[in-house]
Amino acid sequence: MKILKQVAILFGLCWISLLIEKLLPITFPSSVIALVLLLILLLVRVVKVDHVREKSDFLLGNLPFFFIPATVGIIQYKETVLSNATAFLVVCVVSMIATFAATAWAVQLTMKLIDRRNRK
Amino acid sequence: MMMELTSSPLFGVTLTIAAYWIGMAIQKKVNKVICNGMLIAVVLVILTLTVLQIPYENYYQGGSLINLFLGPATACLAVSIYMKIDLLKKYWLPVVVGCSVGTVTSIGCVYGLCRLFGLDRELTMSLLPKSVTTPIAAAVAGGHGGIVSLAVAAVCFTGIIGNLCAPLMIRLFRVREPLAAGLGIGACSHAMGTAKALELGETEGAMSGLAIGLCGLLTSLLSLIFDLLP
Repeated sequence: MKILKQVAILFGLCWISLLIEKLLPITFPSSVIALVLLLILLLVRVVKVDHVREKSDFLLGNLPFFFIPATVGIIQYKETVLSNATAFLVVCVVSMIATFAATAWAVQLTMKLIDRRNRK
Repeated sequence: MMMELTSSPLFGVTLTIAAYWIGMAIQKKVNKVICNGMLIAVVLVILTLTVLQIPYENYYQGGSLINLFLGPATACLAVSIYMKIDLLKKYWLPVVVGCSVGTVTSIGCVYGLCRLFGLDRELTMSLLPKSVTTPIAAAVAGGHGGIVSLAVAAVCFTGIIGNLCAPLMIRLFRVREPLAAGLGIGACSHAMGTAKALELGETEGAMSGLAIGLCGLLTSLLSLIFDLLP
C-alpha cells in the first residue's frame, strides 16, 4: 500500500502537470513542471521526502533503464545519424569543453569577487 | 507466429530488462565509462530486433510502457535537489552564476555549431539540450520538435566524454577551486560527469550534482526562446 500511495502521488503530480502544460501558452515540458511542483511541495513541507522515498529511489536508482526504449528509437533515424555523424561528434565535444571552461571560470571569478568584498 | 508474439508488450518489457541486466553486469565487471550499462543494453536491444527482424513497432508496445515512467522519474529529480538545498543556500551566488553561464554557453555553442554545419531545425532542437540530464533533455527536445532518441544518444555521448576528459580539463584550464571544478563538470556532463566528480572529491561531487538540477531547469527555460526563432 505504501508503494501504491507513492505511485499515486507521483503519477497524480505528473497528470496535473500535463494539464498545466496544456493550459500554458508556452512549450514547457510537463515533466519539468512536475519537478518544479514537487520541489515546491517539498519546500513548503506539504509533501515530505518520506512520502515519496521508496518510489523515487526506485525511479532514480534505475534511471538509465527507463531511457532504453526511447534511445532504441534511434534505429528509425539511422540514415540521418550516419550522414551527420561528424557534425554530431564535433558539436558534442566542442560544446562540452566550452561549457566546462565557461562554468568553472565564472565560478572562480565570482568567488574571487566575493572574497575581495569580504576582505574590505 | 513470431510477429504476433513479439507484438505483446510483455516481449518489449522483458527484452529491455534482460538487456539492462546484462549491460549493468558488464559495466560492473569492466568498470570503465566506455562500457556504460545503458548503452550496452541499447545496442543489445537493437541487435536483437535487427537479427530476428522484429519491427520497431512491435518492440514499442512494451517500450511505451517503460516510457510512461519517464515523467515521474524526472519529477523525482526534485527529491535530489531538495536533499542538497543547504548546500545551495550556502553557496547560492557562485552556483547560480556558474550554472547560468554554463547553460547559456552550452546552448549558444550548440546552436552556433549546428548553424555552421547547416543542420536543420529538427536536428538542432535534438542536440540543444545535450549537456543536461537525460530526463530533462528528452523532455526539452521532444517539446520543441526535436528527436527524443537522438537527444538521449547525444546526452550519453557527452556524458561519457565529459567523464573521461574531466581531470584533463581541470588541469588544462587551471581550475583550482573544487567548487568550480564540480560545477563545471555537472554543467557540461550531468550525471555521468558527476560520477567522476565524486571520485575527485566530496565538494566536487556535491556541486556537480547540484549543477545537474539547476542547469536542467535553466535549459528548459532558455530553450523557450527557440520557439520564437524560425
